[in-house]
Amino acid sequence: MSTFSGLNTAASALYAQQRAIDITGQNVANANTDGYSRQRVDMQSIGGSAVPAMWSVSTQVGQGVNSDQVTRIRDTFLEARAQAEHATTADLTVQSATLSSVESSFQEPGTNGIQSMLSTMWSGWSDIANNPTDPGARAQLLQRSQTLVAGLHSVSGSLDGQWTNTHDSLQTLLTDVNATAQSIAGLNQAIKRAAQAGTPSSELQDKRDVLVLHLSDTVGATATPAGDGTLNVVVGGATLVAGNSALGLKLTGTSASTGVTADPPVIATSPGGTPVLVGGTAKGQLASLTSIIPSYQNQLTAIAQQLATQVNAGHAAGYDLKGNPGEPMFDDGSGTLPVDPTTITAANINLRITDPAKVAAAGLSPAAAGGGVSADSKNADAMYQQRLSGTGADTGYRKMIVAMGVESATASSNLGTQSVVSGQVDSSRDAVSGVSIDEEMTNMLQFQHAYSAAGRLVSTINSMLDDLMNMVR
Amino acid sequence: MRITQRALALNSLRGLNNNLNAVNKLQNQLTSGKTISTPSDDPTGTNTSMITRQGLAGNAQQARNISDGHTFLDASDSALQNMLDQVRRVRDLAVQALNTGSSSAASDQAIATEVGSVRESLIGQANQVVQGRPIFGGVTSGNQAYLADGTYVGVGGANGIAVQPVNRRISDVEAVRVDITGPEAFGDPASGKDLFSVVANIASHVGDSAALTTDLSDLDKVISGMTTAAADIGTRSARMDTAATVNSSQALTLQAKLSDTEDVDLPKTIMELQMQQTGYQAALSVTAKSLQPTLVDFLR
Repeated sequence: MSTFSGLNTAASALYAQQRAIDITGQNVANANTDGYSRQRVDMQSIGGSAVPAMWSVSTQVGQGVNSDQVTRIRDTFLEARAQAEHATTADLTVQSATLSSVESSFQEPGTNGIQSMLSTMWSGWSDIANNPTDPGARAQLLQRSQTLVAGLHSVSGSLDGQWTNTHDSLQTLLTDVNATAQSIAGLNQAIKRAAQAGTPSSELQDKRDVLVLHLSDTVGATATPAGDGTLNVVVGGATLVAGNSALGLKLTGTSASTGVTADPPVIATSPGGTPVLVGGTAKGQLASLTSIIPSYQNQLTAIAQQLATQVNAGHAAGYDLKGNPGEPMFDDGSGTLPVDPTTITAANINLRITDPAKVAAAGLSPAAAGGGVSADSKNADAMYQQRLSGTGADTGYRKMIVAMGVESATASSNLGTQSVVSGQVDSSRDAVSGVSIDEEMTNMLQFQHAYSAAGRLVSTINSMLDDLMNMVR
Repeated sequence: MRITQRALALNSLRGLNNNLNAVNKLQNQLTSGKTISTPSDDPTGTNTSMITRQGLAGNAQQARNISDGHTFLDASDSALQNMLDQVRRVRDLAVQALNTGSSSAASDQAIATEVGSVRESLIGQANQVVQGRPIFGGVTSGNQAYLADGTYVGVGGANGIAVQPVNRRISDVEAVRVDITGPEAFGDPASGKDLFSVVANIASHVGDSAALTTDLSDLDKVISGMTTAAADIGTRSARMDTAATVNSSQALTLQAKLSDTEDVDLPKTIMELQMQQTGYQAALSVTAKSLQPTLVDFLR
């Protein structure tokens, strides 16, 4: 044991405690940083040489402390779970939000919705039944029918607008995803170089973890570590980031809500064009684009078709003020006869009749009425009674609204449950890798005391050496 | 488990958010006065609410139909009563004409003229119009039930056309007939024994006792027919009254049901809001206390 080795031990201790205090400072500084994992200095004692040798002077006393290693404290299992749960939460959030906005398009139950427009229109028929020859009552019916048509157009347009907004938003999201994937690839490269050079890269890794979690939120990405410190990011089986190279995602398929059945929107790799099963926000938005919004659009169209079919059939059974059989009331706006109900949609349903005299209120043909035009109102009353039909537009509409309420309530309750699960995972993750101020303060005191002790050691050795030097004077 | 300040803060924030969310929901209910603002708030309630709203719309329309039907029935009734009065006058005149002992050519002429003018007045009454439609004209699209010469030009009840009832829908399942056609009230014109023919006969037969006696018995039949028609109208009018009562009580029931389904239960909701607010305030104060101190506060 050399005379000065004690000083060396004290110096290593001073350095180690100093480093520990620095790391404590870094932890405290990042106590509120998103995605930061707390760090710890791994101190290891340096033993004396255990191998006897010719010139060995070791007396089995340790040589101080080694503090090269700084560890990020994190649980990879919890990280993986957080990625999965965040993806599910994001998916459910989008679905629930879509359903809520679909609900608000319909404005039910209330006095502004389609149901009330339907009721008002049927009441118009009853007013005609009371006064079959009055042009006022007839004009009122046409106005009310026009309002109903406008209502159907408006709801359909609102659903269409939501579809377009969601489509745009998904496109923006994918641009963001591609940029994030590029950043992760860049970080992979930097981390790999740092690992090769032996320099610490904890902060870079934290940054990368935040980006990966962002990708989990947006497209349901999962990450698997490769041996060299890099992370491979996988989305639905397709590798988005491998090492320092990143693949892009793009949205293909129709960009208009009318083309969903023929050419549904799909997320595919770019380059490549292989369809990718995404998760997270993108999954929710894709579900909104391919199923939720189109499904309500189709149901609304079915109601418009049912309305046109039943009203046209009922109207054809009657006779107008000129004694002619009733013409179809609703068509698809093309003007072709006979009206094909299958071409009618909620967006193009159109009131064909504009002349109040053409409303077929009478049930008696001119022949049966002795040659003149009958002023009976049998058909108008029959039309009024259509509102009670169990298979009519009213019932269909009500069924749709109730089913929508159930679906939306279920989505929102699922989201509630999922948020709790996701919150718990976040808490557990934070419990492992979050910074506790109390703990850091306690550590700081420990390190401070150790630092003072090491300093005292130096001064003690110093005075010992002084004594030694004085001996030879 | 290791608890960090950040975890504590995030958990508190989540709890506070949930609390505030509940307060927000209750406040929404209280300010809008509705428990159901979207179908997802209560799908079953939405169904009830939509059915009830449909029922209310139907009910309001039927109330209109009932009052409209009443107008029509009242018009028919008063027309029939007025006409009956005049027909009785004709009968008196006919009896007077039969009383040959005191008659002279001049008085016969006077009676014939009066009967003739009463007939014109009767035809005028039979063409009475409500909302542009002759009340005794059946389903004719014209504006007359009888021509000035007493020919029936209405549709239904004569000329081989069956009676086409003019109905008013008074409930989802019930429609009440509000009109009575000329042939039903005044006799079939084809038989030549309807009111206007009989009165015309009386006018021309004044002085001819034998013919006048036959006419008188024909007139009695017509009067009896008109009385029956008036009674019929009266019965239907009474049915309308009942329907109006049923309709308005149904409106109340439906309104109460809608209110039950949609409207906020004030005492209950206010109590809930109070509780939620107390909870929220407690959460706030606890959060403020637990987030403040760390070991730093105690290190000197």
